[in-house]
Amino acid sequence: MEKLTVKAFGMIAEKLPEQEFYFPQKQDTEELLNSLYDKYPDLRNMDFSLAVNQQLIQQNTPLEGNEEIALLPPFSGG
Amino acid sequence: MNRFSRQTILPDFGIEGQQKLSDARVLVVGAGGLGCPTLLHLAAAGVGTIGIVDGDTISESNLNRQTLFGYQHTGKPKASVAAEILKEKYPDLEFEVFPDFLDTNNALEVIAPFDVVVDGTDNFGTRYLINDVCVLFKKPLVMGAIYQYEGQVMVFNYGSAPLNYRDVYPNPPGQNQIPNCAETGVLGVLPGIIGTLQAAEVIKILSGVGKVLSEKILFFNLKNSSFYEVAISPNPKGRNKLPDSEEDFRSRDYNINCGLAESINWEKALDWTLNMNNSLLVDIRETGEKPLLEKKFLTRIPMSEIRENPAPLSAYENILLVCASGQRSQQLALELKQQFPEKKIFSVEGGILHPSSPLNSIKNDKKA
Repeated sequence: MEKLTVKAFGMIAEKLPEQEFYFPQKQDTEELLNSLYDKYPDLRNMDFSLAVNQQLIQQNTPLEGNEEIALLPPFSGG
Repeated sequence: MNRFSRQTILPDFGIEGQQKLSDARVLVVGAGGLGCPTLLHLAAAGVGTIGIVDGDTISESNLNRQTLFGYQHTGKPKASVAAEILKEKYPDLEFEVFPDFLDTNNALEVIAPFDVVVDGTDNFGTRYLINDVCVLFKKPLVMGAIYQYEGQVMVFNYGSAPLNYRDVYPNPPGQNQIPNCAETGVLGVLPGIIGTLQAAEVIKILSGVGKVLSEKILFFNLKNSSFYEVAISPNPKGRNKLPDSEEDFRSRDYNINCGLAESINWEKALDWTLNMNNSLLVDIRETGEKPLLEKKFLTRIPMSEIRENPAPLSAYENILLVCASGQRSQQLALELKQQFPEKKIFSVEGGILHPSSPLNSIKNDKKA
């Protein structure tokens, strides 16, 4: 079965059960985000960028199978 | 043998690389956790002129990560102390000190005379401000940022397809996601690693050695000792937000207020406290502050004690904080929200001095 690997960084990881986990395969990144928001409502208030297979995306992107998704919040500390 | 011989004998760096460093002017914004290691390495490597921008003074809690400074420097300005320490070590270098925070009035002038800018600041407002100036000036920007055990490094405005921070994050994040407002923890060695990576990128940019990290963001996780690279590309949504001229830049507001804690008025605060067992109204003023309020409904725990040990509050669901004017209670409410994210934490509006506080409105304290 195809599945996504989700990797979370920074504050985003605190809103999820683990820093890295598998998630059921989705058609595209919008469907994935909606499923993540449903399952982890705290994510709704967070700003983060999304990478698919280590490439930052800027709009809804089709997923073909077994992608690695990274949820990347900005860090402010110094 | 001279002080640079170990790097000038590197075949691809050579005397030429050293000369490029020596001729260069690098501005380091923020002489804190990131800025200290960056400055140490840029100076040791022989960057000829180093500008240091910081409006802050050194405090004891900086010392776990701000490795230029020691106990003897507490209370003194970071920028000038950093320059003095480095000048004493390396009298062959020039240092330019800007003992202020950057804002829209001074940023253009401060940044303009430098070849490369290093962002080691600790807030989103200044990060977007520096980014936007560096885009206007087409100046290479080496940005580093940290969160607890993780860091990011990025190089902007470099190479044939220059990128910038707004390609990655078009807008500053919402107020609820600004952790530095209430101080978060950081293991001191983390900014040591990220700031050192920033210094390495500056040296690569100046000398031409190696491949600059200009098309990717590099993430580092200290707990896993892991790096993660993400390729970035131009983002029109972000680029539309850039100022298109110096005038446009000067007219912008880059202040991003720290998130405000939830406020509650006195009437509601008293109602909750008197009628709900899970609510606690806390007078957080320090011991000795006047007027002394002795009410049964008011629990006195000074802010300094709560900061040291917030555990006594953990039995309550609704925590209502009162200080003299409502300012410190705001600050503490933000901090406690980090520790007790599931609880309701309020700052009582206007504090003890508010016209409807119990000093004024409850003459006969019937219930208490």
